[in-house]
Formats: sequence, C-alpha cells, structure tokens
Amino acid sequence: MPQNANQVLDHFELFRGPEYQDMLARKKAEFENHVGDDKVAEVREWAKTEEYKDLNFAREALTINPAKACQPLGAVFVAVGFEQTIPFVHGSQGCVAYYRSHFSRHFKEPTSCVSSSMTEDAAVFGGLNNMIDGLANTYSMYKPKMIAVSTTCMAEVIGDDLNAFIKTAKEKGSVPAEYDVPFAHTPAFVGSHVTGYDNAMKGVLEHFWDGKAGTVDKLVRVPNGKINFLGGFDGYTVGNLREIKRIFDLMKVEYTILGDTSDVWDTPTDGEFRMYDGGTTLEDAANAVHARATISMQEYCTEKTLPWIAGHGQETVAFNHPVGVEGTDRFIMEVARLAGVEIPDELARERGRLVDAIADSNAHIHGKKFAIYGDPDLCYGLAQFLMELGAEPTHVLATNGNKAWEKKMQALFDSSPFGTNCKVYPGKDLWHMRSLLFTDPVDFLIGNTYGKYLERDTGTPLIRIGFPIFDRHHKHRYPVWGYQGGLNVLVTILDRIFEHIDATTNVPSKTDYSYDIIR
Amino acid sequence: MSLRQIAFYGKGGIGKSTTSQNTLAALSDLGQRILIVGCDPKADSTRLMLHAKAQDTILSLAAEAGSVEDLELEDVMKIGYKDIRCVESGGPEPGVGCAGRGVITSINFLEENGAYDDIDYVSYDVLGDVVCGGFAMPIRENKAHEIYIVMSGEMMAMYAANNISKGILKYANSGGVRLGGLVCNERQTDKELELAENLAKKLGTTLIHFVPRDNIVQHAELRRMTVIEYAPDSKQAQEYRDLALKIHNNAGKGIIPTPITMDELEDMLMEHGILATVDESQVGKSAAELAVG
Amino acid sequence: MSVSAQTDIAAVKERNRALIQEVLEVYPEKTAKRRAKHLNVHEEGKSDCGVKSNIKSIPGVMTIRGCAYAGSKGVVWGPIKDMIHISHGPVGCGQYSWAARRNYYIGTTGIDTFVTMQFTSDFQEKDIVFGGDKKLAKIMDEIEQLFPLNKGITVQSECPIGLIGDDIEAVSKAKSKEYGGKTIVPVRCEGFRGVSQSLGHHIANDAVRDWVFDKMGDKPAAFEQTPYDVAIIGDYNIGGDAWSSRILLEEMGLRVVAQWSGDGSIAELEATPKAKLNVLHCYRSMNYISRHMEEKYGIPWVEYNFFGPSKIEESLRKIASFFDDKIKEGAEAVIAKYKPLMEAVIAKYKPRLEGKKVMLYVGGLRPRHVIGAYEDLGMEVVGTGYEFGHNDDYQRTAQHDVKDGTLIYDDVTGYEFEKFVEKIQPDLVGSGIKEKYVFQKMGVPFRQMHSWDYSGPYHGYDGFAIFARDMDMAINAPVWKMAPTPWKQEPEEYAIAAE
Repeated sequence: MPQNANQVLDHFELFRGPEYQDMLARKKAEFENHVGDDKVAEVREWAKTEEYKDLNFAREALTINPAKACQPLGAVFVAVGFEQTIPFVHGSQGCVAYYRSHFSRHFKEPTSCVSSSMTEDAAVFGGLNNMIDGLANTYSMYKPKMIAVSTTCMAEVIGDDLNAFIKTAKEKGSVPAEYDVPFAHTPAFVGSHVTGYDNAMKGVLEHFWDGKAGTVDKLVRVPNGKINFLGGFDGYTVGNLREIKRIFDLMKVEYTILGDTSDVWDTPTDGEFRMYDGGTTLEDAANAVHARATISMQEYCTEKTLPWIAGHGQETVAFNHPVGVEGTDRFIMEVARLAGVEIPDELARERGRLVDAIADSNAHIHGKKFAIYGDPDLCYGLAQFLMELGAEPTHVLATNGNKAWEKKMQALFDSSPFGTNCKVYPGKDLWHMRSLLFTDPVDFLIGNTYGKYLERDTGTPLIRIGFPIFDRHHKHRYPVWGYQGGLNVLVTILDRIFEHIDATTNVPSKTDYSYDIIR
Repeated sequence: MSLRQIAFYGKGGIGKSTTSQNTLAALSDLGQRILIVGCDPKADSTRLMLHAKAQDTILSLAAEAGSVEDLELEDVMKIGYKDIRCVESGGPEPGVGCAGRGVITSINFLEENGAYDDIDYVSYDVLGDVVCGGFAMPIRENKAHEIYIVMSGEMMAMYAANNISKGILKYANSGGVRLGGLVCNERQTDKELELAENLAKKLGTTLIHFVPRDNIVQHAELRRMTVIEYAPDSKQAQEYRDLALKIHNNAGKGIIPTPITMDELEDMLMEHGILATVDESQVGKSAAELAVG
Repeated sequence: MSVSAQTDIAAVKERNRALIQEVLEVYPEKTAKRRAKHLNVHEEGKSDCGVKSNIKSIPGVMTIRGCAYAGSKGVVWGPIKDMIHISHGPVGCGQYSWAARRNYYIGTTGIDTFVTMQFTSDFQEKDIVFGGDKKLAKIMDEIEQLFPLNKGITVQSECPIGLIGDDIEAVSKAKSKEYGGKTIVPVRCEGFRGVSQSLGHHIANDAVRDWVFDKMGDKPAAFEQTPYDVAIIGDYNIGGDAWSSRILLEEMGLRVVAQWSGDGSIAELEATPKAKLNVLHCYRSMNYISRHMEEKYGIPWVEYNFFGPSKIEESLRKIASFFDDKIKEGAEAVIAKYKPLMEAVIAKYKPRLEGKKVMLYVGGLRPRHVIGAYEDLGMEVVGTGYEFGHNDDYQRTAQHDVKDGTLIYDDVTGYEFEKFVEKIQPDLVGSGIKEKYVFQKMGVPFRQMHSWDYSGPYHGYDGFAIFARDMDMAINAPVWKMAPTPWKQEPEEYAIAAE
C-alpha cells in the first residue's frame, strides 16, 4: 500500500508505485485494444518528418490547438476595466461560465460577468425577453454603474439587434432611460478575442462620445492636453497598467487609461470581496473625447477603435506591444511629443539600466533561435526585443494574425540581419508549430501555458510569456512594458536559459565540467 | 439632402425585384444617385441594371477570399444603368447555412467600407418575409427609414404584407423605421385595387401606386433590362416613373403600421367577396365529402 | 437527541429561513418569486429537499451553470482518450475547455491519445452563412491523414450548428462508411439546448447508445468474459479518481472491463454491454446509459460512493452483494486492509477539523457524495446545492446525506452564494474556480471541488488521505489569520486574533 497518513502521496507520486503501474498495464493490455507500442513509436517518429509537416501545412479545414479565443472574451476584458461595470453577454449562458473560468485561471482572481441565459425558445423567438429580464435583474442585484453588453455567437446567428433590444428594455423599465448600457456585437465566428476587445472598446466610447445611441446630443470635442491610453487585450494588464501610470506620472503627463483593469484583477484578500474595484470612471470615459491624442499599445486590438477616435479629431498613435529598448524608446518619445513634456532623467536612467543588463547578459542569448507564438502585437514586440538581444525569432506565429500583420512582421525581419532566417506564420496553430519545431528546431520557445505540450513533445524549452498563463502564478503582476518591463522579460528569458544549461550539464563525470558556478 | 434609405419587401415571386429596379431606374432618371443592396440569396436584385445573369456576391467573394475583411468595396460593387451602384449580398444554396446572417455580414461590410458615401438613395431589396433577425437587418436603426411593401390582390401576398408590417412595428419605436406605403403589382385578381386600398387603410398607410400588368415588363426582362431602359416611351415606363416620383415625394411621410390579425384579414377578404363565407361545418371536408353531404 | 440540540436546530432553521427571505429582497418581484422555489431549509424526514431544480436559469443573475456542450464534450465524451473530439463551431468553446478538467489518462498525446488537445472547426462567418457540412467532411479527412491511430471521431456541436441547420449526422454516416465503418459520432449538444450541462450529459449518453452500441451489432466480446466483470460508470478520473477506485474493485476480486469515461477508450465503451454489473459513481451524468444497458442488455447497475471510509465501506459491501462469497470476502479483506490507514488519517486530521462547518456548491454528484467524507473527519456540511441536479438528486440528498436544517440552494446565483457565506461564516467553502477567489477574498478557506484544486485523487482509500490533508491545508493555513488588516480591527478583536 503506497499511501501513508504521515506522508500523504497525491497524484504526483501515488500512481508511480508498482500497484498502480501493474494495474494500468493490465488495463491497457486487456481492455484498451491498444495498437501496440511499436506502432505508436513508428507514428510518433513519422510525425516529426518533413513529409508530415507538409501534410500538416496542407490542412485547410481542421484547426488543432489554436492560439486564440473568441470575441466576447475580449469584450468582457474591456467591460471590467470601467468603474463598477458589469459585463452582460447576450446569448447562451455556458459561454459566460467559460469566460469567467478562463480569466480566473489566469489572474487567480474573481471575474464577475452575467449572461442573458438564452435557451432553445430564445433561439426560435429571439432573445428580447432575456434582455429585458436580464438587465432588470443585473441592475437590481449587483448595482452596477454601467452594464456593458456584448453577444455570443448564438445571438449573432439569430440576428438579435442589441440597439433595439436595449431601447425596448429601457422602455419596459428594466433600467432607467438615462442609464448607461453601451453595447457591441461580438460574433465569435469573426476574428478573435482581440477583435472583441476592439469592438467592445469602440462600443463603450461610441456610447459616451456619440450621443448614447441617439438619446442625447453628441459630445462636442473641446481639445485639452490629455492623452488617452488603450492597453489592448493583455495578460499582463495588472502590472503593465501600473507601470504605465508610473511612467506617465514621472513624465507629468495628464492621461486617461481607457479600460483600467489593474485593480479589479488584483484585489486584496482582507476579508472583503470587491466585485468592482478601480476602473476608468464613466466621466473620464466621456471626457476622453477632449484629449489631444490617443495611444494604442496594440495596433491589432484597436483596428477599428483607433481610426474611429482619429475621426473625432484626435491624433492617434499605435504601437505593437513594445518590449525592450527601441520599442520603449519610441513609446516614451511619442508620449513626450504628444503631451508636450520633457522626458525626465529618471527614465533615461531606467533605460540605461536596461541597456546595462542587456550588455551584461546578451552573450547568453546572442545567436540563439527562438520560436514565438501569441497575439499579433505581443509577437511583434517580443520579436523586436529578441533581435535587439542578438537572437533570431525564427518562427513567429499568430493564429489570429492577419495579412497586414504578416507584412509588418516581415518588414521587421527585413530591418535587421538577425531577421534574415526568420519567418512569419499568420493564421497557423500550435500543431503547425509542432511540425516546425521538429523540422526546423530552435533553442527556445516563447508562448503561453499551452506551449508546455510543445515543450514535452519536442523538447524545446518553454519560456512562458503570453495569455493565458495557468500553470505559473502571479506573472500578470509584473509589467513587460516600459524599461522595467523589458528587464522583467530579459530576466524571464535568462532564467530559463540558465536553468536549461544547468539541466543539460549536470551528469556527473559526463557533462558536469560545464556545470559552472559562475555564468 | 440627406441620404434616403428605403427597402422593398414582399412575398417571394410578387415581382419585387422587377418593381424595385424599374422604380430605381426611373429615380436615377430624376438625377438621383443610387445604391442597390440586394439582400436575397438568389442575388437577382440588380440583374436588370447590369444586364447580367447574376453578379458576384459579397458572400461568395468573401468565402473565396477567406473572410469579408479580405474584400475591398470595388470587388463587390458593380456599376449599372445610369451609374446605379449595385451590390448583391448573396448567400447559401437553399437548405444550408444561414442566409439571414449573410445579410447582416454584408450590410456591416458595406457600412464599414463607405459604400453609402456620395449617394442620394440606398435601396435594400429583401427576400420574402421577415423570417428571422437577419432579414430584419435592413430595418434596424440607421438602416432603411422607409419600407415599401410590394403586394397584390392574392391572399398570400396580403398575408405577407401584414406580416412585414408586424416586423416594422417591432423596430419602429426603438429604431425609427416607418412604412412608406404599399405598391400593388397587378395580378388581375378580383377587386384587386379595392382590396389593396382597403388593406393599406387597415395598416394605417396608403396604396402609393397601383402598377398595372403589362407584358412589356416580361419582354424587357428577357433582355435583362428594365422597361425604363428597354422602352422608355411605353405606358408602363410612365407608370414606374409615376411610382418613382411618388416615392421621391414621400420623404418623411412614413407611418408606424397597424398590422391586423389573421381573422381580420380573412374578414376583409370575405367583405370583398374574395373568400366565400364558410360554413364552419364544412371546414376540413374534401370536395367529394361535400358533394355527398 | 438532547433538548438543547433540538433548540439549536430550530434556531438554525429559523436563521436559514430568515436568510433566504433576506436574499430574495434584492430581486425584482417576478425574479424573487422564481428564485424562492430554489431555496429552502431541509426538514428531516422529507423525501426531497423542497426545492425546484433543472429549470431554466434566470437571465442576468450570474448563474454558475454551464451548457450542454460542456456536459457532452467537457464531461462525458472529452475523456475518451483514443478518439478525436471535434469542437464543431467557433473557436471559443473548445479553447476555454481545453485540458481544463484534469481527466488523467495514459497515452502518447497526439499519436494514440488526444484528450488534452483542442480540435476545432474554428467556424468563420462564411461557414455560418454557407453551412459547415463540407468543412466538417474535410476535417474528418484531415484527421484520418494526420492522426492515423485515432479510433474514432465525435462531433461536439456548438450553438451555431443547430441554428443554421447543418446535417452533421449525414456527414458522420457518409464518412464512417468511407472509412470502413469507423466510429464517428455526431453529438447534438449545442449550448442553447436544455438549461445546464445536464442535458449535454443526456445527449452524450444517447449518442453512445445510438452511434456506438447500436452500430456494433452483435460483435463478440474482445476479451474473455468472467463472472466478475464490472464497468466503472461516471468516473472522469479527475486527478486519477478512477484509478484509486479501480484498484479497490480489483483488490476485492472484480475485473474492471471499462472506465466511463476517465482514461477510457472506445474499446472499453464497446465492452461494457458484456459486463455483469455497472457500478455508477456520477449518477447525474450517466444514469441514462446505465438504465439503457439494464433494459437492453439486462445489466444491473448500482450506485456507489467512494468518498471517505464510511461510504467506501458501505459501497464495497453493496457492490459485493451482487456477487458470490468470494467477492464478499474480498470486500471485507479490502476494508480490513485499509482500516489502519484510515484510522491513521482520521487520527491525524480529525482533531484539526472536528466541528468545522462546510458549505458546498458543486455539480450533479458531489453536493451529496462528499458529505460522508467530511463527516468522517468530524466536519459538518451546513449548506449544499447543485449546479445542475434534478429532483432525483435532491431526493437522494434528503434521504441519505444532509442533516436537518441544512440550507439548500439550487442553481445558486453569485449574489445569493456570497450572502449565504457572509452570514453563515462557514470554515470552508467547496465549489468551483469562479467562486474560489470570491470567498478567499472574504477570508474564507476554499477548495475547488470540481478539479480538486489541482490535487487528487479524492476517490477511494488512497484518495481520502489526500482529501483529509487538503481540507486541513485549506482550513488551517496561516494565511487566513492574516487577512484582516490589524490596525483596522477593533482593539479587542485584534487581541483575540493575535492569541
């Protein structure tokens, strides 16, 4: 009997003993009708070949292990970033259970979100009654300041009209007529979670700036000196937004973070559950129309929002999730230009410290090949940083990357000798990546938690950067933006490299001459 | 002048596309710049303008290209008679997929790509009935402001007209869509004009025009032309010009319809002697049974 | 029972009833009326818990429930390891449920097993408009090419499939024929069907019946039958639960021919109609197929409970009662073998947990099944409820598991659960990931009772040791004492907390 009250064994060790191993072997031999280990080995080896890769890349219909989620997830991300706002997703309720779980697994925080719980009858008759009852219930139970509505694919297929439904619900008294209920149609079969971010953010701003769905006058822009900041869909939103605020404060920039999720996904454990915490105030969201300019940290999260803001007379600048020295330089200098402020010396010193750290450590990264996957902007920012470090971002893959992104990535590769052998893969998935890692191996892989399956199968060490990160804790609390963020990313990469070097040089009398104490 | 957004609805086979294209051709003769958005999966709302069998539709091109984001406006927009701009939403074969969603996709695409810039009229030509949310897309807020229902004296056409009015009513309060009027396409049924006028009255609107039947329409159609183009001096062409002028002068005169119940509709038909008053005891009996009885 | 204990129970009941009234006040009238039917206080001797269940959730209240797809793909079918399960529709459903349920299995993932992979048809707008059947057919071809060792395919429908009228049955039949009778199972588990995961379980069970059992005809058993063949039904092997259960059944002399569905294979599904007894753990999700096998193949089924030594002992004897003396003796031998371990575990943990109060809110089985295990540790379950239970679940709960005065909440809303916990102040809450951090912020110890909070197994004797350790770890963690900010407390309270 392996179990012991004084040394309780759980799944990590319990099943490794002979009792369980024998049992599992018998199960396989007698009941699973297993094809045989030899056959498995044969196919496993075949799946590593060029031939398999070609078949794999010839796929037209099947998607395997994609690195993207669906639109409403992005809409929920946006909604929780506004003061006392509850996301309300119109459609099937199971979707909402999934979004909440997904965010909670990443942030280790509660995520409040409601559904209009449409079922079969609503599929036939439309979901108007669900909207009417749902808004009334949410409003009276959770006392939000705003309810931000988006849609699941169910409501989109049957063609429910949010604008008309919300108006009707208001007429029926679900919420007061002047109550803020911005909305966005977010069909899951178009784009990905970054598209949902874009649509939902535009929906909120449109509501406040353009006359609240025709119920009040449009705001007239009276330009002030402020800067609006859009972070985009970002797994590091807690750490990143705090770092951005610190930088803006240092620079004495007046700013509005549109969709500030840094508090709601980082609430204290002190005896009180805060369903809402922080967030952009509704007044600030409305007044953001008057800003001098709007900065988007992630171009492909704001493809519609940013041009729409520009249409209101603001200057707009988009970045691609800048990480590292050059990306951050451009960001800081643009902020200074737009806000008309001097860059404080402290930032120059922070920059110098990051450059210093790179100078100290880049020898361990230089010339190494990396594969990166993730959201389009994150991929760009990381690839740019790796090239600064003298590394080669050999394979860069974004399942939700489009043609414009492909071109932009290629231009980045073309801008540096370290990009010569690099290739961009828009619209591909992690099963494509698996083939690439076999046929054209790299030294390290950068991606989210799901990358651990690639690490297991291909032996490529995984550096966890992205969303979601389920199997490491608290990474979202640390920024990856700004010079400090660059330092965090650098250290994350270095730690994994050193661990890998140690793990591959520790066989006594075989490889441990390189098991150095100083690196 | 601000953009006039109109839509033609009506039972399938009623001659909706023919009527709308002739009317719009006449409107363009009045100097109006027009965009036609065909919202019928059959994609036949613009063929008379283009002298074409069928044009490439937004949805078929999008399916080829990968997604609608991969399309440009000029890929889907053809220029027809008198510079009328023509697009067809298109859609699936009968029995598969979701044509209604296709309408939503297409209209969103057109709006996002500025198809409505520099025109005076956009006209949506919509399949049959308002069968699901997708086919109501053209009557949502900021889409069509005036709906013209093409009908005839046939019972099913009037039934459909009444149903479409229900759809309009649903969106009228929140969205501001209005019923512009009925257009009766003559089928030469009994007391057709009288019936059409009466239905219009019940719905709270007017019969904006009664288009008489004339074979010249078929002659023109065989040549994939409107009568306006094929025989501009014909009497029928003048009918369409009259209709066009009436629509043009109808801006802002739309109403919120007052659809009636099925019973009221049947009563109306009986009143006009179209439907014989039926003895309830005869309901459900075959001709043979009645003969015996 | 002493007079004072009775008075205590009366007081608890009164408090619970008042609490129910209090939470109902927040709702609009119509909603309050509907929710009132789902909340109650258990009265001893009643045949059920006095709540309505398996009814549509109310829009906008923050139900914790999921959907039929989650019940089919996420629960029943997903763990069948040598088949490929296509999440058919847009990308999200498959993405959020990807490898999230900890259905452990042995196999070479991507080669002969596929559980922790996400296969999706990633529907685009064009697939909605033009229909997805052609794409589905092509997907099956690509699967055959890239994963030659797969033993079958299931099509797990997401919402749009049913709405646009795709004929996945026709595609499945045609492809099955093309691939020489390969098992291809279309499952109509669109998320808008039914009111929760529960209908998805049922639909998935029916799909096994129609597309596995009915297609295999009278194929002879692929193994040599014995009088002691049983199948484990309704164990999803969360953290290895089915393994720590299987080992006990084998030790008592039975032979487990199939696991449904944790670490299960299509061969095991096909073997089950040849079993002598189906032992059913999760009644809610697999009673349908058990009843079907009873009717069609004459296989009896018996519910059992492998949480905590009391229930395990009872269950082993109940299972043994279907067999001869050899098995009955085997059961006794197993009970005796583990007795010292159980005594040691209880001796170690009971003193640390005695009298602690627990509130549960889980899926379709655990709200009642784990009560015995808590009681073995001297703990008391003071409130419980089901996400997607039916009345037969509440009947079982009332008749066998809960105590007089227990607060019962069906399809609880976020608001209700929060208020109940706030007022009752239990020592532990057991529920899911969406609830975990809400209560931890409140300073209330919490364990996820769907995923075992990434621990487990909890089934069987081996599992109980882990269960006890984990509950102790949750409740007695030093962190909870640190939750209140010391300088913000009343001086007296601070003194007590600091002692």
